[in-house]
Amino acid sequence: MTQSRVRADNSLLSRIDRAVFRLESALNLAAGLVIFALVCLAVWNVLARKLLGMPVPGYVDWTEQFMATFAFLGIAYCQREGGHIRMDILVARLSGRGVWIFEFLSTLFMLVITTALIYGSWYHFQRSFSFSDPWWSRDSTIDVALPLWPSKLLVPFSLSLLWLRLALQLWGYGRAIARAEAEPVAVPLVEPPAEQAMHEAEVVVEAPGDARNG
Amino acid sequence: WNVSLWGKRRAFTEHVEKLAELVKEKTGGEFTLNISYGGLSKNRENLDGISIGAFEMAQFCAGYHRDKNPTITVLELPFLGVNTLEEEVAVSKAVYNHPATKADLARWNAMLLMPSPMPQYNLVGTGKPPARLEDFKGMRIRATGGIGEAFKAIGAVPTSVTATEAYNAMESGVVDAVAFAQHAHLAFRTIELADWWTENLNPGTVNCPVVVNIDAYEALSPEHRAALDGSIDEALDHYLANYGKLLEKWDSILAEKNVQKVHIDEAEIARFREVAGPIQKKWIDDMTAQGLPGQELFDLVQETLKTARMSN
Amino acid sequence: MPAMDSLVDMKALLAGVDPFDMALWLSGLLVILVLVGMRVAFAAAFVGFLGLCLFFMQRQGFDRGLVTAMKLAGQIPHSKSTTYALSLIPTFILIGYLAYYAGLTRYLFEAAKRWIGWVPGGLAVATVFATAGFAAVSGASVATSAVFARIAIPEMLREGYNKRFAAGVVAAGGTLASLIPPSAILVIYAIIVEQSVGKLLLAGFLPGAVSALIYAALITGLARLNPDLGPPVRGFTFRQRLAALPGTTPIILVIAIIIYSIYFGWATPTEAGALGAFIILLMALRKGMRWHQLRGALMETAKLTVMIFTMIWGVLIFVRYLGFAKLPDHFAAWIAGLDQPAHVTLLFILLAYVVLGMFMDAIGMLILTLPVTFPAVIALNGGPNVTAEASALGMSADECAIWFGIIVVKMAELCLITPPIGLNCFVVAGVAQDGRMPITVQDVFRGASPFFVADVVTVAVLILFPGIVLWLPGLL
Ligand code: NA
Ligand code: NA
Repeated sequence: MTQSRVRADNSLLSRIDRAVFRLESALNLAAGLVIFALVCLAVWNVLARKLLGMPVPGYVDWTEQFMATFAFLGIAYCQREGGHIRMDILVARLSGRGVWIFEFLSTLFMLVITTALIYGSWYHFQRSFSFSDPWWSRDSTIDVALPLWPSKLLVPFSLSLLWLRLALQLWGYGRAIARAEAEPVAVPLVEPPAEQAMHEAEVVVEAPGDARNG
Repeated sequence: WNVSLWGKRRAFTEHVEKLAELVKEKTGGEFTLNISYGGLSKNRENLDGISIGAFEMAQFCAGYHRDKNPTITVLELPFLGVNTLEEEVAVSKAVYNHPATKADLARWNAMLLMPSPMPQYNLVGTGKPPARLEDFKGMRIRATGGIGEAFKAIGAVPTSVTATEAYNAMESGVVDAVAFAQHAHLAFRTIELADWWTENLNPGTVNCPVVVNIDAYEALSPEHRAALDGSIDEALDHYLANYGKLLEKWDSILAEKNVQKVHIDEAEIARFREVAGPIQKKWIDDMTAQGLPGQELFDLVQETLKTARMSN
Repeated sequence: MPAMDSLVDMKALLAGVDPFDMALWLSGLLVILVLVGMRVAFAAAFVGFLGLCLFFMQRQGFDRGLVTAMKLAGQIPHSKSTTYALSLIPTFILIGYLAYYAGLTRYLFEAAKRWIGWVPGGLAVATVFATAGFAAVSGASVATSAVFARIAIPEMLREGYNKRFAAGVVAAGGTLASLIPPSAILVIYAIIVEQSVGKLLLAGFLPGAVSALIYAALITGLARLNPDLGPPVRGFTFRQRLAALPGTTPIILVIAIIIYSIYFGWATPTEAGALGAFIILLMALRKGMRWHQLRGALMETAKLTVMIFTMIWGVLIFVRYLGFAKLPDHFAAWIAGLDQPAHVTLLFILLAYVVLGMFMDAIGMLILTLPVTFPAVIALNGGPNVTAEASALGMSADECAIWFGIIVVKMAELCLITPPIGLNCFVVAGVAQDGRMPITVQDVFRGASPFFVADVVTVAVLILFPGIVLWLPGLL
């Protein structure tokens, strides 16, 4: 697994950061496992169609509903790891407090839009949910009528976790501004693009030396 | 007003285009309908958009989300016996005017304005043309809703692909046959791959109404509302005339693409109808269980059909 | 709900504002937010949401407008993410990670070296062909460069190759991964512009091969002019050459499955990708891949996937706003109305991509620009219903959509090797330094610069002979 680029110490902030990170990692792994399961489902669907003449009923519906897991569950994990793409050509050139002020503001904007989206996606979930209907469903998929609300509920849930992560990062950046820290805890540190690119390729490059024996 | 449709302008959207033209003309350009093809919403979420108030008019199909609009799925049941587009208009209007239907759509802040009548969803397919019900056994058919259920009842395998994926699915053998109205067989190019077309299987059709946001409708000035209400019949007439022209060309299109017209024996269709019968029964039971007047809606369709035929 | 204006009378405040002007201002704001380093997905979602707020407040007042905008924006993440065709993306990312563990890269390089090493600059040509082969199982350019930096550069240095040249070849070769299917970026293009994923994947195949050939021609040309750059490697017997082939069969098998199943319609692109991933997984397991490695690959795949999905829905919130403001329509009409040859306008659009590409990431650049440039290019060609005969660029509207996808992906790949931000070059330098090779980032950028010229030639060839792009998908 890749090395995280977030510093830790014994402060309350850092301890909360690591506790939340454990939850985020577990959810991200769950997303990875769903990706794996969907690959298997697709293979099974082809084989069953070709060899048995019986495709998986509602294969597309099932796939679409399970996509919500890997589209959202890892969103806070990705933010913790600094994985959401941005242009840091400017931020990487700043130093001292300036960096943390920029980071604080852009994180604050993210918090604003995330809040709006939590509301909006909650309404979207609500429109598909009703206690009085069978399966609690007021909206279902086109082919085999799977209820939509479970996958729609994943969105406000994941965004709420992201909200928590952003709040922690605001705390971290705020503390860094107040104390003029060079390497604060609980926030992803800005890396030069070169190092960032290395991180991206880490999984394939840092594998044990089997390539040489290969 | 903003209007959310999808795809491209085609026979299926001509009534909305005509309505926009008429309303603009009648109000001297004061009341305009800005039609967007896919820019404002995904087609399966047009009803959500109406409920939110994101746009004022939209089109959708009942089968896209049966739980959102259970009442109008009665119009998608197999073997209702609808034979012409005029009959389809009549039964749609009757169901749309039923209080239970109005209440159903009002949950989405939506009012049903007009239907988009489509002919029966006959099959185009590849390979050996079917002659008897047994020939459908194991056939992979792209069909949704009640029509899919009907094919399942005779041993076919209804397979889920969206309209836009139908061409690739058929070409790749993911499906052997596709159920569409004629304009869609043209628009989605399934006819290019076809070996045969069932001219009289008439298993049922799909119902795609045009709705408006209730608040927006009620906020219209009396003149604007009159212009809108008064243009609906003319827009539908235009639609029917336009679709009629397409149907007239249909035979020559089949000949040009070298597609064989399959005429299924009446006795076979009667057997099909019998096998599919329980689907209508099951629909009525499901609706009743949800507290909806299923039987009443079903009877309404049958009675309206009788009246429509007598007046012809 | 009655229209209330509790805080500000937004209706009155916004009464005279033209939605089109507002869209221009907000687009400017988005550029600024991206430049100062806000995460692109959220910057786009933020500005899009702001635009929706203003749009609906203008019509419905402050309170109702805000609620409508929130509900509308909140619909988009789920709606856009649960689209069947997008399920290809994690599969393609996973394949790339697994392919490395399956040991495919070394076999490919070895076979290419033994068969083609004898030409001038032979090892470099072998690297290009091996990256092209690996591209057929890898959907990501950066990973491809990283893998080959570790395998090919040491060998080239041992044979006395110029270090800049060796590094540049690997950085450029990696970009082939996005053109040759599987390619995540082609899938993203197909989704955004609503074209057939299968057709785009097929369309990338020949241009990818042409691009590799142009690279190879450039390398032999340079090596012949200046033999110090890279000597040929001779002395492999025919038997040794044959012996190198069996190791490459899995890759050929996977290529065959993906192309064959899409082409003959044996399976949908999603299913074909899954079959490929499954085969590679079995090979990786046979090669001794362990659970913690698989777990690492799944974690990284999930992280990259959520990043891409967030980017897609974030930008689509902005696009939805543009849809209400009708900005793309205006821009397309303006482009189509320009009084100059269509190819000149196209050239300007491509130049803009080169400039953007110096600073931006490939996927980000594509998703941010396509909502405006795609309708503009379609309009430039003569509109969404134009036939090949009546068009400005010599192809029908549907063909133009496929063709522009390949061109724009090639442009986006260019940005991986141009300074100051060129991820492939950073990765190559990083891997090289990690392995104690004396190669700096500047070395890689300079070594990659001839390949920039080769890419310009490739794009020119694809513009002059669109048939290279359109022939394979045309057979579908
Ligand atoms: Na590739
Ligand atoms: Na660049």
